[in-house]
Amino acid sequence: MTTKTQKSQLSSAASNEVIIEISKMNKWYGDFHVLKDINLNVHQGERIVVCGPSGSGKSTLIRCINALEEHQEGEIIVDGILLGKNLKNLSHIRTEVGMVFQNFNLFPHLTILENLTLGPIWVRKMGKAEAKETAMKYLERVKIPEQADKYPGQISGGQQQRVAIARSLCMNPKIMLFDEPTSALDPEMIKEVLDVMVDLAETGMTMIVVTHEMGFAKTIADEVIFMDEGDIVERNNPHDFFGKPEHERTKQFLSQIL
Amino acid sequence: MAIVTAQKTPDRQPPLSETSIIGWMQKNLFSSITNTILTVITLYIVYLTVKGIYIWGFADATFVAENRRECYNNSLTGACWAGVIDWMDNIMYGRYPRDELWRINAGGILVVLWMAPLWMSKVKGKIFIGISVVMLYPFLAGYLFSGGSKGLFMQVMVSGAIVAFIANMLNMIIGLTKNQSLVQFLLRIFNQNNASDKTQRNVILGIMIISFLAIFLWQISFNLEKVGWTQWGGLFLTLVIAGVGIAASMPLGVILALGRRSRLPVVRVLSTSFIEIFRSVPLITVLFMATTMFPLFMPDGFVLNKLVQVIIAVILFNACYMAENVRAGLQAIPKGQFEGAHTIGLGYWGTMGLIVMPQALKHMIPNIVGNFIGLLKNSTLVSIIGLFDILLMLRSISRDVPWLGLHREPLIFGAVLFFILCFSMSKYSRHLEKKLSTDNKS
Ligand SMILES: Nc1ncnc2c1ncn2[C@@H]1O[C@H](COP(=O)(O)OP(=O)(O)O)[C@@H](O)[C@H]1O
Ligand SMILES: [Mg+2]
Repeated sequence: MTTKTQKSQLSSAASNEVIIEISKMNKWYGDFHVLKDINLNVHQGERIVVCGPSGSGKSTLIRCINALEEHQEGEIIVDGILLGKNLKNLSHIRTEVGMVFQNFNLFPHLTILENLTLGPIWVRKMGKAEAKETAMKYLERVKIPEQADKYPGQISGGQQQRVAIARSLCMNPKIMLFDEPTSALDPEMIKEVLDVMVDLAETGMTMIVVTHEMGFAKTIADEVIFMDEGDIVERNNPHDFFGKPEHERTKQFLSQIL
Repeated sequence: MAIVTAQKTPDRQPPLSETSIIGWMQKNLFSSITNTILTVITLYIVYLTVKGIYIWGFADATFVAENRRECYNNSLTGACWAGVIDWMDNIMYGRYPRDELWRINAGGILVVLWMAPLWMSKVKGKIFIGISVVMLYPFLAGYLFSGGSKGLFMQVMVSGAIVAFIANMLNMIIGLTKNQSLVQFLLRIFNQNNASDKTQRNVILGIMIISFLAIFLWQISFNLEKVGWTQWGGLFLTLVIAGVGIAASMPLGVILALGRRSRLPVVRVLSTSFIEIFRSVPLITVLFMATTMFPLFMPDGFVLNKLVQVIIAVILFNACYMAENVRAGLQAIPKGQFEGAHTIGLGYWGTMGLIVMPQALKHMIPNIVGNFIGLLKNSTLVSIIGLFDILLMLRSISRDVPWLGLHREPLIFGAVLFFILCFSMSKYSRHLEKKLSTDNKS
């Protein structure tokens, strides 16, 4: 039986256009230096997997990209917009960059359908009927249209995470960020979520995924990034990254998780 | 060696001491000699108390009499409830004109009917019901209670309230029978349920405007007789003060709580000081301040009546406690909810109004009920500054010529009444708390 996650490497959809440009970015929490001189360019359609030990700054990095966290030094340019204190830019970035969390963060007081239509209706000012149509389209894509009228608490973790992905997609984002989307799931549900993400990768979406699912990384990643203590230690294509890691810390990390 | 259980172990009943009443009594009441002695003594004390109360309050009590002398002639060892019964209308309604009492009763029935759908799971649109009862009902009730000729503003609000009430009742009936909301039902009747959002909105808006105009024209034709606030009193006045206090302090409390969490230092400091100052003085001080200080701040010739002063004081006082409830409710919302809202592009007000507040409100309901109980009891303090609330009414009985010196029975009656009101609310809020914690979905 072949499943999508075991399939061979997807062909790259990366174009020449740079959509995320991070240069000399630094971030501190108090006097704790979380991210150190980060430089990273991501092209349109590129799929990047970020891994590294816990506390190395992976979450912080992607949270900076959609302005959930402020950085103190350096530049982050997303979709041509320089992130900073400008509120108008911020709201634009939020709608262009979708994000999926480890704990789903669905809205428990709203049905699945309402979770999905909330953004389109209130932020994109879409009509109700159209928003519902869009929502159903994405629910079908994540294969749970029959759950539309349930509440998040009534469906399984894997289904919740797929709803969370659909919720982001409803905003029609240019970039999707994933922060350990399968870490909070029971083992038997991980695959259904990864399958949805592989599907998404096939559509050419720009994706940055923090994950330790190495099989998944091998399948979809154009590049794998290894972070440790706030540094990007190594960046390479998956074949070489897993085949012949160069840095000592990378080797050590890989030997622990593989 | 492997250990294998050949068969599935069947479930058995727990030992009798866990489930039967006798088992429970053995374990909890008669487990040792000391425990048994304590139990017996306690039961004996309870028996004496209950017996005493029964003989005084029921067996020997007088329920029908013209005056206190007749009570004594009937029995010297029993209570004289006749005085309380004779004054019942005063205790409940104060000196409100006896022919107009239906207005108070109607006001009470209206609010019960208005809020009833909130407890029906089949009825939709609970948010609108909640908002309308807080925003519109007070105007309708205010007019019912005080009457007089209506200004234009009052006419608009009263008409709006009537429309909202009727819509609410229809919505309830349709929800219960057809499992739909009123809006869906109307759209279906007018064959617009597949029309675009804009047409649908216009149809609903049209219906609303037409019904509003109809009600507006209808209400012009009549006015209720004016009843001055000095004639309000009794339990009615107590409930008005506590009810208005709770309803108005809720929005104010939300604003103060948000202010306290604001990023703007000025707003934060102002809200925090306001909350802390009012929370650290007793209500009676605030009441005295209100009745003596407000007049100083008012422009010349502008006289606020005492009731309004008192109500404003109660609102300000209670808003600070409400703000703390709201703050606790907000703190119960996980950070992930803010982040989820952030990633779909909602701004501050969108996040608060659509995501955070609806969830926080649920956590707050038990506290709000508790707050209401406190306010209900606290509001008897207004008798000190001379409003004829239930407490002052009860104490006036002993100064009424036929019932001269009758202190005990009225006050005991008041205590029992308050106990029933407050205890049932407190039980209910406990039940709510349990229910909310079990169906906490996230
Ligand atoms: N809000 C915060 N305040 C202070 N320290 C934080 C905060 N968030 C994360 N950190 C710290 O920053 C470091 C990096 O965190 P994170 O980006 O979540 O790591 P990762 O996702 O790689 O496990 C950790 O040491 C963590 O304790
Ligand atoms: Mg993390």
